[in-house]
Amino acid sequence: MLRIIGGTVYDPANGINGQVKDLFIDGGKLVASAAEGRTIDATGMVIFPGGVDVHTHVAGGSINFARAMTPEDHRRTQAFIRSQTRRSGIGGMAPTTFATGYLYAGMGWTTVNEAAVPVLSARHTHEELADIPIVDKSCLVLMANNEIMLDLLEEGEYERAKQIVAWHIWAAKAYGVKAVNPGGVAAWKWGKNASQLTDPIEGYATLTPGSIVTHLARIVAELGIPHPLHLHCNNLGVPGNISTTLETVKHLDGARAHLAHLQYHAYGGDDWDTMKSEAAQLADYFNSHPNLTTDAGAVLFGDTVTISADGPWQHLLYKLTGRKWGNLDVENETGCGIVPYTYRPSNLVNAVQWATGLELLLLIDDPWRVFLSTDHPNGACFWRYPEIIQLLMSADFRKECMAPLPTAIKNRITLPEIDREYTLYEIATIISAGPARALGLHHKGNLGEGMDADIVIYNREDDIARMFGHPRYVIKGGEIVIEEGDIRETPDGREYLVKPFYEPDTEEFLRPRFEDRYCMSFENYPVEMERIERSQIQACASPDSSDSPQ
Amino acid sequence: MGGKVTCTLGEVKNRADFIVYWGGNPAECHPRHFTKYTLMQKSKFLPRGRKDRTVVMVDIRETKSVKAADIFLQVRPGKDFELMTILRAMVKDQEVSDEQIAETGLTREQLTDLIARMKGARFGVMFFGMGLSMTRGKHMNSAALLTLAAEMNAFTKFVAMPMRGHGNVTGADVIMRWQTGYPFGISFNRGYPRYNPGEFSTVDVLVRGDTDCAFIIGADPGATMPQPAIDHLAKIPTIVLDPHVTHTSRLARVHITTAPAGIAAPGTGYRMDEIPMPLRPALESPYPSDEEVVRRIKEAIAAKPDWMGQQPQMLLSQI
Repeated sequence: MLRIIGGTVYDPANGINGQVKDLFIDGGKLVASAAEGRTIDATGMVIFPGGVDVHTHVAGGSINFARAMTPEDHRRTQAFIRSQTRRSGIGGMAPTTFATGYLYAGMGWTTVNEAAVPVLSARHTHEELADIPIVDKSCLVLMANNEIMLDLLEEGEYERAKQIVAWHIWAAKAYGVKAVNPGGVAAWKWGKNASQLTDPIEGYATLTPGSIVTHLARIVAELGIPHPLHLHCNNLGVPGNISTTLETVKHLDGARAHLAHLQYHAYGGDDWDTMKSEAAQLADYFNSHPNLTTDAGAVLFGDTVTISADGPWQHLLYKLTGRKWGNLDVENETGCGIVPYTYRPSNLVNAVQWATGLELLLLIDDPWRVFLSTDHPNGACFWRYPEIIQLLMSADFRKECMAPLPTAIKNRITLPEIDREYTLYEIATIISAGPARALGLHHKGNLGEGMDADIVIYNREDDIARMFGHPRYVIKGGEIVIEEGDIRETPDGREYLVKPFYEPDTEEFLRPRFEDRYCMSFENYPVEMERIERSQIQACASPDSSDSPQ
Repeated sequence: MGGKVTCTLGEVKNRADFIVYWGGNPAECHPRHFTKYTLMQKSKFLPRGRKDRTVVMVDIRETKSVKAADIFLQVRPGKDFELMTILRAMVKDQEVSDEQIAETGLTREQLTDLIARMKGARFGVMFFGMGLSMTRGKHMNSAALLTLAAEMNAFTKFVAMPMRGHGNVTGADVIMRWQTGYPFGISFNRGYPRYNPGEFSTVDVLVRGDTDCAFIIGADPGATMPQPAIDHLAKIPTIVLDPHVTHTSRLARVHITTAPAGIAAPGTGYRMDEIPMPLRPALESPYPSDEEVVRRIKEAIAAKPDWMGQQPQMLLSQI
């Protein structure tokens, strides 16, 4: 049992905005009262629910590829030293698994969602997730370029496609569905891309990226998956892609969707020389469409490594930078590309990207629908989130950071005209309560009775980045894991899954199609349930989900 | 240079109409490779299977695999790097002299024909073996080939993949990367992982006599390493976990017999394209698995009193 008394609580899920309130914890949950146990005197301190990252890349084949490609960064960066209870590791651009858990918990984040998992290597992803301590985890399976599903959509077999999606979610032991560059990654298998939403995809007669978006969003809704379709639009990073993004959301036909890393999809202009931010236009559209949530995918200046299932984009980035290029195409399902990258304030394109991410966060007016992310490690590493919080809370600090940008940036961004400053309540919404709700994890990001006792306690400081980078206490599942800047306990986190309903004959239908395309036994393909450590199955909204097979 | 442009083996099965093997002999070293993944498979995109694929073998000698190829290019020993560099130039229409080409043991016609076929392919793949990665030039050879494959993407789809073997070496590599950031050649002697092949690789540590104990799982260095390394293993307490009696187990102080993985012990094996495969035991073994032995040793060590003392939790930056 644990009591936290006298703290100033920000709990947007319950409308609590800076009230002094005592919190009591028993059995890993928040409770109405606790008679005994340790008492933390939080007088004068700020209390948030634990952070929730809706979109990050921390485990699996692609981030592990990035680790292999960046030994020069590991050698210069932060190192974690082993102890009797802690494992050693490396921080930096692509942190190792143990370090990932320590770094997230160290700044008060207690739940993370790995955003891109192929079924074929999902076994690997789950092994890595099991090695990320402290935080709770979930992951999304990549579907929008799965050729078995694309073939069915082309044939007009919508119902079958839906069964296949449900089967794949459970085969990957995933929590939801991610769409990356619908059709474009499949085309990349022939070195092509899909840049027009209404043009047929390479290798298909009629199927278009737009129809994949329409169908997948509907499938995810009909299956009752708690998190809506997690959508990485076509033409990521390309000047003028605002038109693609707006066209994509129209293809949703009003269905719910979460737009991933929106910053990379909010550009105007015709080429790299004329590229500008269209965040204002996109935010306008977004504000009037409540079916959408998004994460910023904000960029910070500095070194990082870009990782994406968007193979064609990564090839373009390699050609632009001449730096290392990793590419891994996954049979039938998806691809992935990796290119180390340095965002420079002196580079006009990078400066526009930096401003665009912040503009979206500041111009989308409902903090329940826009969340803090950097698309780790693409825009910046997750452990730099406190710097973004500072940028959001201080217009003066933003002005300071804008001073060194190239003069040509004028008329390309609207950031200088934005005065909005986030309040603590709004910050608590975009880093915790909002993403938890979008993920459908209602026991997270919420300090109400009966909810998970994931709590962050900050010293109130003028230096905002410091305050959010170094919480005084972090409590995960009722255990104090960080105290006075030290890691005290490293409990293992849970993994959230869903088990959507699919017709019992789905496997027999799938087997011959699988055997045509893959080079392993069908039986070896799905991840076995016993391989998921501390799994917790979340309910789907569908009334049929209770009598799912297996 | 740097990076790797690759794919899973099913992509080769489904799409590769142009396949190069360089310094590898799969017919003898990966006997199921041709039939399961590459040459013999038919697919939606290559309905006639072998007839729809062109196979090129680059090697210093005519191995058994050459019989399976359409084109054999016999490169002069030690000239692989030169040949790949010439190809990289010719692909980009840069000038290369006849003397430079003659040095590789091949003719301009052969190379021009090869490049035309590479550019004309819809999906090209280059597999490379130890004949490339472990001969003169070593990692520079691998880098040159990976770069050639990356640069070919300016013309058509191209990927490259090493022909890895030796049991689950890929699995060890994958796990070391997620736990430490590095694939092999890692030192933990400062309490955090550091990487320097040539300094911290097993053979170097042993030859220098830098280790006073050795713990060996799933490998038989006593059969393959240089004599000074083997001599050092014999001198220090060496502990071997292995289902079999091996050269290493014979010189070890302790040999714990374990159940063979994949036959009598479950687990995960990573294929050479880094796809994890579940291992399901077909037989029962009276012996414990490697995993169980290591876990019990770890528990016994954890039960001992703290021997590490106070250390900082982290270094903000390494020197």
